[in-house]
Amino acid sequence: MVLAVVVLVKCQKSAVFPEEQYDDRLSGGDETVFSATSTAFGNMFPGLTGYDIHVHQLGDAVFGQTFVTAPAPIHNGLGTIFNNTSCTNCHHNDGIGLPTAGELQSSLLMRISLPGEDAHGGPVPVPSYGVQLQDKAVFGKQPECKVNISYDYKTYSFADGETYELRSPTYTLSNLYTPISGSYLLSPRLAPPMFGLGLLEAVPESEITALQDANDANGDGIKGRANYVWDGATNSRKLGRFGWKANTASILSQVAGAFNQDMGITTSVMPVENSFGQAQYDGLKDDPELPDSLLNAVKFYAQTLGVPARRNTTDATIKRGLQLFVLAKCVNCHKQTLTTGVNIAMPAMSNQVIHPYTDMLLHDMGPGLADNRPDFLAGGRDWRTAALWGVGLFEIVNNPGYYLHDGRARTLTEAIMWHGGEASQSTAYFSNLPKSDRDAVLKFLKSL
Amino acid sequence: MISMKNRIITLFGAVALVAAGCSKGTKVAPNNDATLEGQILVDFPANLANPNYLDIETKAGIMKDAITAFIATPTDANLKAAQDAWKNTRAAWESCEGYLFGPVEDFNYDPTMDTWPVNKVDLDAVLASSSALTVSDIDNLEFSLKGFHAIEYVIFGVGGSKKAAQVTDREKTYLASLTQSLYNTTKQLVNSWDPSQSGNFTVQVTTAGKGSARFAKRVDFFKALVGSMADICGEVADSKMHDPFAAQDSTLDESQFSHNSVTDFTNNIKGISNAYLSSYNGASGHSLSELVKSKNASLDAKLQTQMAAAVAAFSLLNGTTFEKAIYDNKDKVTQIQAAIHTLQATLEGDLTTFVETNIKD
Repeated sequence: MVLAVVVLVKCQKSAVFPEEQYDDRLSGGDETVFSATSTAFGNMFPGLTGYDIHVHQLGDAVFGQTFVTAPAPIHNGLGTIFNNTSCTNCHHNDGIGLPTAGELQSSLLMRISLPGEDAHGGPVPVPSYGVQLQDKAVFGKQPECKVNISYDYKTYSFADGETYELRSPTYTLSNLYTPISGSYLLSPRLAPPMFGLGLLEAVPESEITALQDANDANGDGIKGRANYVWDGATNSRKLGRFGWKANTASILSQVAGAFNQDMGITTSVMPVENSFGQAQYDGLKDDPELPDSLLNAVKFYAQTLGVPARRNTTDATIKRGLQLFVLAKCVNCHKQTLTTGVNIAMPAMSNQVIHPYTDMLLHDMGPGLADNRPDFLAGGRDWRTAALWGVGLFEIVNNPGYYLHDGRARTLTEAIMWHGGEASQSTAYFSNLPKSDRDAVLKFLKSL
Repeated sequence: MISMKNRIITLFGAVALVAAGCSKGTKVAPNNDATLEGQILVDFPANLANPNYLDIETKAGIMKDAITAFIATPTDANLKAAQDAWKNTRAAWESCEGYLFGPVEDFNYDPTMDTWPVNKVDLDAVLASSSALTVSDIDNLEFSLKGFHAIEYVIFGVGGSKKAAQVTDREKTYLASLTQSLYNTTKQLVNSWDPSQSGNFTVQVTTAGKGSARFAKRVDFFKALVGSMADICGEVADSKMHDPFAAQDSTLDESQFSHNSVTDFTNNIKGISNAYLSSYNGASGHSLSELVKSKNASLDAKLQTQMAAAVAAFSLLNGTTFEKAIYDNKDKVTQIQAAIHTLQATLEGDLTTFVETNIKD
């Protein structure tokens, strides 16, 4: 038995990073940036040149800009109902958001839908509300509702007796501007980090679908399915890549969707106000409010933010943590290495070996994390494997930093212990480790 | 060439001056790091960040009192005093934008106080309404309805020609709460760095590389510092100056109501120099400049020259407001932008390389 374990360790160790996968510090391949400060998530691809730099900077400026009520000479079109007034108010420092709702710096929004599927297999809009709740409004207009968050705190123990606390959120709505008849489904979503998105978009669909194991043919207890979603930008069914449930196909759709749903700003991709048909509608004939040049600049900005390099990768404890991360089967979903496709038009992100620690697939994460609101092929317990690159910098970039789809986890330990469903075996493995090994896993995660 | 002894005395004098000048004191505990890098980590918060933030608070307090005086006696002279107090507070604030990192960004003190543009549609609607305007109501308003530019809009008015008689009672109520709210924010900003407060950011800086949660290595602090100095160059030349200039539209100009933009820009660039010299209001200590000079005197000279040139470039406008200059002095606006770009290139190039090469831990 001892021999078997040793062999297993050795075998797994050699699989940690095969030599052909390059330097394991280069999380973003050529588009890795060497920064561990609070601005680590906001650096452009080092490989950008010429006019691309100008477009990135233009997008950066718009990303940081507060929008105001129309009509106004610049940055107009906010609302009338919205979740926040600028991109950066949710994506602080291009990072993860703050899990509060309705306040100035809140980064949590609430999706809503009726049970069932729409014509494209997606969530069914709630009459007079749509598929997202806007809990703020310009002066004189009524927000759709107030989102209330309360937490229930419980203490648990690792196998060795050390305790940890988890907080379970409960979400309720109050101050509805108009009643909702019948039952509805809610899903909270926290603003995610912005970097590395262009690289994830450039991973070929075939590489992602090849990782699927819907029937668990390899018997590791872990499945993995791609989401296929309706993409409004192209009016077609596409592989879902972005959003906490892989519910969005492209960065363009994600950016246009955020402008429209989160800020109330119309674009050519989504030219209808989020309040159209509602009492709050502004009735102005000014759509699209954001010109294509700026929409594309913000899309390009989101596409070309470099990935922070790993730190201290030769540290013995961190190497030990990585081995344990592999042995716990965390890597079976948090896939270390992907390769982007060849793209002659965009050499910066062409054929890059990247280390995002995600398989881009949906996994059943158990009842604890479930929102019980399907989103295309993602079921109520499914979430897309979160990319872990940069996760070790959340504390620095987004002091103190929150984790998981709704920011319920306040530390990496809590985030690990929330994993259920297909990840239950990994959580149990972690829980049974001696403290020094748990700390090694955490130290490894902090090196990402 | 100043002797070492004299230099130490000068430095002691400077520190004493700062300590005497601050009512709350900004005594920063030593960090047991005798290297020059370690001394900079102490002197940056002691001689620049803390005194600069304290100065903003003091001046915001004077502005708040000036508004109170104006409301009690609404004369043109008292309105002018309030406008001057706004400009003075603004000067201290704009110079701290030369190094925007830490709590000012983490806790959004910057957007709370200095969001632009104001939401004119909503602001006019607020003033036309009868909604409550207590300080806590202001705190709940969106950033674009408060802070420097909301105050500016009300006390200077469009075109900057507001007279005391034009300020309505409703505007006075709004102003009283706006200036109190801004003052409260400056107080929070001061406390966030105050070495005597728990969880203060000064300790994060002084212990960089030696236990600081924020700066795992000392080089992380220096990179954050240099990065913020370079960022404000881009912000001034490529955004604040560029947007109204390229669009030939002075309504896109940031401090358009007060016509204070050129002063704003100048103070932003002076803030870079302050950051480089760990200096505020003449008091200075161990600085990044000293470190650069000790290893690469020509780079230090180049940086100092370029900083001075970027500041001096604004005098090309000869007092013309930026609102006019974008139409009448296009060549000079371009020259100023070029001077800032030159500095930015050195900060992002040579100085960043210097920091990465010379500070390893």
